[in-house]
Amino acid sequence: MDMHTYHIQSYCIIRERSIHMDGVTVLKTEALTTLNDFLKSAYRQLGIDYPKFYKMDALCKAVFIAVELMARKAGPIKPDTALIFSNYSSSHLSDEKHAMDLFSADNPMASPATFVYTLPNIAMGEISIRHKLHSENVFFIFDSYLPEFLVPYNDSVLDNQKTENIISGWAEVGEQGCDLFLYLIGKSGKTPHTVAYLKTLYHNEHE
Amino acid sequence: MKDVFVVGDHIISPLGIGSQVNVEQITAGNTAIRRVDDQQLCAHPFFAALIDDSQWDGEIENTQRYTRLEKLFILSLQALIDQYRIPLDRRTLVLLSTTKGNVSLLHSPMGRTFPKERVHLAVMADEIQRYFGLENRIITISNACISGSLAISVARQLLQGNDYERALVVGGDEISKFIVSGFDAFQALADEPCRPFDRDRNGLNLGEAIAAMYLSKSPTDGAINVSGTSSYNDANHISGPSRTGEGLYQSIRAALIEAGEPTVDFISAHGTATPYNDEMEAIALQRCKLSDIPLHSLKGYYGHTLGASGLLETILGIHALKNNLLIPSIGFEHQGTTQRLNIIKKNTPQLLNTFLKTASGFGGCNIASVFKKI
Amino acid sequence: MSELTQELKAKIITQLNLEDINVDNLEDDTPLFGDGLGLDSIDALELIVMLDKSYGIKLSDPKEGRKVFETIQTMADFIEANRK
Repeated sequence: MDMHTYHIQSYCIIRERSIHMDGVTVLKTEALTTLNDFLKSAYRQLGIDYPKFYKMDALCKAVFIAVELMARKAGPIKPDTALIFSNYSSSHLSDEKHAMDLFSADNPMASPATFVYTLPNIAMGEISIRHKLHSENVFFIFDSYLPEFLVPYNDSVLDNQKTENIISGWAEVGEQGCDLFLYLIGKSGKTPHTVAYLKTLYHNEHE
Repeated sequence: MKDVFVVGDHIISPLGIGSQVNVEQITAGNTAIRRVDDQQLCAHPFFAALIDDSQWDGEIENTQRYTRLEKLFILSLQALIDQYRIPLDRRTLVLLSTTKGNVSLLHSPMGRTFPKERVHLAVMADEIQRYFGLENRIITISNACISGSLAISVARQLLQGNDYERALVVGGDEISKFIVSGFDAFQALADEPCRPFDRDRNGLNLGEAIAAMYLSKSPTDGAINVSGTSSYNDANHISGPSRTGEGLYQSIRAALIEAGEPTVDFISAHGTATPYNDEMEAIALQRCKLSDIPLHSLKGYYGHTLGASGLLETILGIHALKNNLLIPSIGFEHQGTTQRLNIIKKNTPQLLNTFLKTASGFGGCNIASVFKKI
Repeated sequence: MSELTQELKAKIITQLNLEDINVDNLEDDTPLFGDGLGLDSIDALELIVMLDKSYGIKLSDPKEGRKVFETIQTMADFIEANRK
């Protein structure tokens, strides 16, 4: 008998140049592909028409693809699904780009389209728009993926009954590349929402 | 659900160090907003409220070890810890709210004196944690312009569980070329001291502040109950506020319901003084039937203090509650939103019990919080 | 003139990351906003920066922008009339 109240309904890992959904590899390209090209090829494979994707920074692109895949697997994301994300680099890649625009030797000038992505929570804004989610967003910054904090926190949010679902996890896109692990939490499901299970899933992306 | 109370606070701003002096300054009608002519920040003069470093520099041990912003965070936390004798044990949690942290180090001459990892918020938080020898990891929240209010809400959520007894929530950002250039490219900067909700408003002023709040499950005399908090995304646009104020409307409704539908005595709005933000807020408030409630934006005193703003403005709202004094919104002369608002025009003594704080930010995020006397 | 419109098309496609569009299927009179290219407020700000950076033209009145950025042709006309 399972005594856990909440479960992982679906999860996505994007790491190196591969994407894994619920433990199954759905896309893998050679390591030489740039992250941006890799994410664009993932987008094309999805076969959707969402031109705004190309405007996003790499963090938003990775999060967008992960949530898109989860929605295909687990069904449409419910509009009150809370988004509780974390990472280490915040929006560092866009920060770097904006800083380069400002401090470049010839004709320094800020780009609004870059600046708007210099906040990590924009990624949650993008998927809220895409999936029409009117819900709470929180973006935490940690040294590393911290299920010891996130699991009890997410449990408490669900216990409050403001929402029945949360998409949570680790959305790290920075100088060290992409290390994304997002999961949909809800009442039903086979994998219990516990620190131990999440650690196992996070460390074993292969089927 | 367990109650969580605000039992202490501290502010560092251009108007002074300490909450009390800040309350005195704004009730005297003083603004921190000045014309700034500094090529390091912006190619053209602009209006902003910046902390003068001569006010505080050198009050920390090993001062060269820390960045300017870290020092300000440390000073504010230390003042709060000392004043309220807060034990820094396993039952105490520190939360930090910032939008950009040490980002001024990126590609700037200052950056060379610190390791390049120092621009990362987690590394900054670790430095502060080590300074105080905290047992718990600092919880850092970076959620655009609602970060400060959201950090209060998250702290409350964490205190409602069994693991922690008290929390220190500190928020702040420093105004650097990185930030000024971005808001300038967005054409969001006013060419004068900002005028929240006014007909002739033409943008915001950026400001610097550090605001720290002490939350506890044990109320003290004069403690204020955080009686409802709620946050909803607009799901509309990543930089433009929703035309219908949907996310803010939902946030306010849910926060008030959680607080038990109290009579709201005043509203501390976000009120950045950009045309779209203020209009959106007026619409959301009208939809909540709160248009007649006395309202201020404190941006006319401090500018938009980003990661500090939710905390700073909540703390000042709490002092207004305690002093039974409505604080005016400066820079406002003519109704300037399609939905009329009841803007507070002068210091008004009045018995106050409850206020509503709202904030909205890039990414479509919104938050509303209700604070009540006990 | 057509040289300028071609140049503008290329710049806009790169600058605004319009990956599904190419110079050949972007007409001089395609509306840039609304039902045409579907640009948004951030794109409009980006176009203002582009005018400044590439052509030395400063546009500070957003209302003016709305007319200037109607189509590639209106942009080109504006640049011709204002560039130094």
